[in-house]
Amino acid sequence: MTGPAQDSPQDLAAAYALGALSADEARRFEAFLATSPETQREVHEYREVAALLALADPGAEDQPTLAAGLRDRVLARVAEQKARPLTAAPRAPAARPSSAVWVALAASLLLAVGLGAGLVSARGRLAALEAELAAGNARLAAMQQRLTEREATLDAILEPGVQMFQLTAKGDPEPGIQLFWDRQRNLAIVHGYRLKPVPGGKAYQLWFIKDGAPVPSVTFTPEPDGHARVERIPVPQGGSLTAAAVTVEPEGGSQQPTLPIVMVGTLTQS
Amino acid sequence: MPDAASRPSSAADGELVARAAQGDERAIGQLYDRYGTVLYAVAYRIAGQRADAEEVVIEALAQAWREAPRFEAGRGSVAGWLTMIARSRALDLVRARSRRDRITATAAADRPGASPAMGEFRPDPGGALDHEERRRQVRQALDGLSPPQRQAIELAYFEGLSQSEIAERLQEPLGTVKTRVRLGMQKLRESLRPFYFERGT
Repeated sequence: MTGPAQDSPQDLAAAYALGALSADEARRFEAFLATSPETQREVHEYREVAALLALADPGAEDQPTLAAGLRDRVLARVAEQKARPLTAAPRAPAARPSSAVWVALAASLLLAVGLGAGLVSARGRLAALEAELAAGNARLAAMQQRLTEREATLDAILEPGVQMFQLTAKGDPEPGIQLFWDRQRNLAIVHGYRLKPVPGGKAYQLWFIKDGAPVPSVTFTPEPDGHARVERIPVPQGGSLTAAAVTVEPEGGSQQPTLPIVMVGTLTQS
Repeated sequence: MPDAASRPSSAADGELVARAAQGDERAIGQLYDRYGTVLYAVAYRIAGQRADAEEVVIEALAQAWREAPRFEAGRGSVAGWLTMIARSRALDLVRARSRRDRITATAAADRPGASPAMGEFRPDPGGALDHEERRRQVRQALDGLSPPQRQAIELAYFEGLSQSEIAERLQEPLGTVKTRVRLGMQKLRESLRPFYFERGT
């Protein structure tokens, strides 16, 4: 029992369970505690001792007994919180709390500010909530982004003069591609659905058949849900477009289609 | 459920907390039946006023209700958890009161030395017997400490003083206070081990 700095962490277990460490000491001890199951057991046991101390009342030989009605007041407070779980809602005048509540509340706030000890867990909770909020905001932003994109797509295909053509797979009703052709801008949007996944290193490639010959266009791979969407695809000009087709090609795309053609649809000039 | 009330078992206590966590406020009522007396005792010992002690019990159980989803059974017993909450709320209240008293400089520190008047009280039939036995054991165990050990532990627990603050209050070296707390708690542990609210595993 020489200096205050020489305590081994184990020696602090009793004082910790008793609530007799300063905020700083308690924080340091908790860091150690997290690493030592042995000390956790010690603290656990000393907490039981501390709980029993609650019964120590040298002043009163009679056992303290509880006021009639206290149970109902406890349950009323819980019911109040249950009704309004997340707000420190003002209470109805009839159930006005004694000033002690507000005093205790104010005290806990002041203590939190003054000591910072109780803040450790509160900070942790706040950080968790903030992280949750940030994640929520990110999700929201991502959804808004997708929504904006969809809206743009929708606007694009609803433009006057936009025509839709259907590309289908021969003998397979499942996958399909809708090709929206905006003749005024000579742009196309393709929307594929229920597309089968392509092998690694491969991609679907779109072809326009102009004057009887295939003209290479964009490549795309479907999402896991089988959808694919490509926008602002330049449509070849200066000839007669009769059809659009899709093949499976190496990821970078090809200059000549690799057979077989997996989907095809006619483009009728109107 | 007189049986459960007089012999609180750890499993049942934990179950009550779990039920509270799921939104069943009747579980708080049952925790009150089991530990209301203990919570009131520590609240009264610290706050020294009946009305304040009752408010502490209400606040403590309301807090237990809020925090029930975060209760970790592995870190201690339900009784230990509840009494620590009640102790903290009571200490908060006393600190706020003394601050308020300092500020207003009124002589409002109405802390009677006596126990509460018994007139409007009713006995607590459920938990009384078990708690009374424990109370006797705690008194005996405390009597087994040296007066300085007992004083240090009581100052820490009931007045919320840190060891440094106790040393300052008593004008004793910090190391001495620490030793008293440690040895005193060790002695209490030996004598009270059979009477824990929840037996260790």
